[in-house]
Amino acid sequence: MIASSPTSSAERIQPAGSSAAQSLNFRPNVDVATCDDSLVFVADIPGSSASASDVQVEDGVLSIDAAVPARSLPGTAVRREYGIGGYQRSFQIGADFDASQIAATYRNGVLTIRVPRLTAEQPHTIPVTAG
Amino acid sequence: MQLLRVGYAHPLEDLRDEMDRLWNSLTTAPPLHGWTRQTAKEAFPAVNLFETAETVVLEAELPGIEPDALEITTLGDELTLKGRRDEPDVLSQDTPTEATAAPTWHRRERGIGEFVRRLSLPTLIDPEGVEARLQDGVLTVTCPKAAACRPRKVTVTSR
Repeated sequence: MIASSPTSSAERIQPAGSSAAQSLNFRPNVDVATCDDSLVFVADIPGSSASASDVQVEDGVLSIDAAVPARSLPGTAVRREYGIGGYQRSFQIGADFDASQIAATYRNGVLTIRVPRLTAEQPHTIPVTAG
Repeated sequence: MQLLRVGYAHPLEDLRDEMDRLWNSLTTAPPLHGWTRQTAKEAFPAVNLFETAETVVLEAELPGIEPDALEITTLGDELTLKGRRDEPDVLSQDTPTEATAAPTWHRRERGIGEFVRRLSLPTLIDPEGVEARLQDGVLTVTCPKAAACRPRKVTVTSR
């Protein structure tokens, strides 16, 4: 077995149709916001689909794993500025979020993930009376 | 006598540009392609261009761009991609908009705004036959080559 070089995942350019192109994984650009007591992730994942995108929360870590089916253009390459492969990224979000209520949508190559905050108990205000 | 070595002609200007670049990255929204994947000097969007005997096919990754926010024009052997990416919609749908507060951003790597990219194609194309398709954030533009630029078979006759 040939060990893959540590730089292989960072390689953006791969010959079309090579088997290595399938296993390539890129780091998507992500926007993160808090809105309405939810944590919202917006990730650029072009070329994937709702069924091929996988979002998981485990031990306070949210991971995005999106597969992108190989696609190749006909003919010979004149210009090749990017490679094609899946996208992976993880974020530490802590235990304050409700992993069972995650909602994720995929549209126009953008994956939007919404994780609601756990409904915490309201802090009790203890009245202080002068005695 | 050569006073300035090539490449070191304006070290202070280079330094100033570098400082501007560093400072911009702290104070402004990211460029459309983000800061992580490419340097600022590279154009957005990145394209792959392929050529067959009959067509020139261009592919570009344009996630989050609506088809009506994209304009493709051709002139001779030049193709221009022009478009705009809007602010991502992070507000939840089920709450009325008046009640929602503005989002607090923790990380902004996806750039927003307008872009223009002009590309020289390898041959002249037939502008009437150009087809563009935007699916899942991937744009594919198929341009048939102009009749004069397609290979033509010459029959050889003998007397």
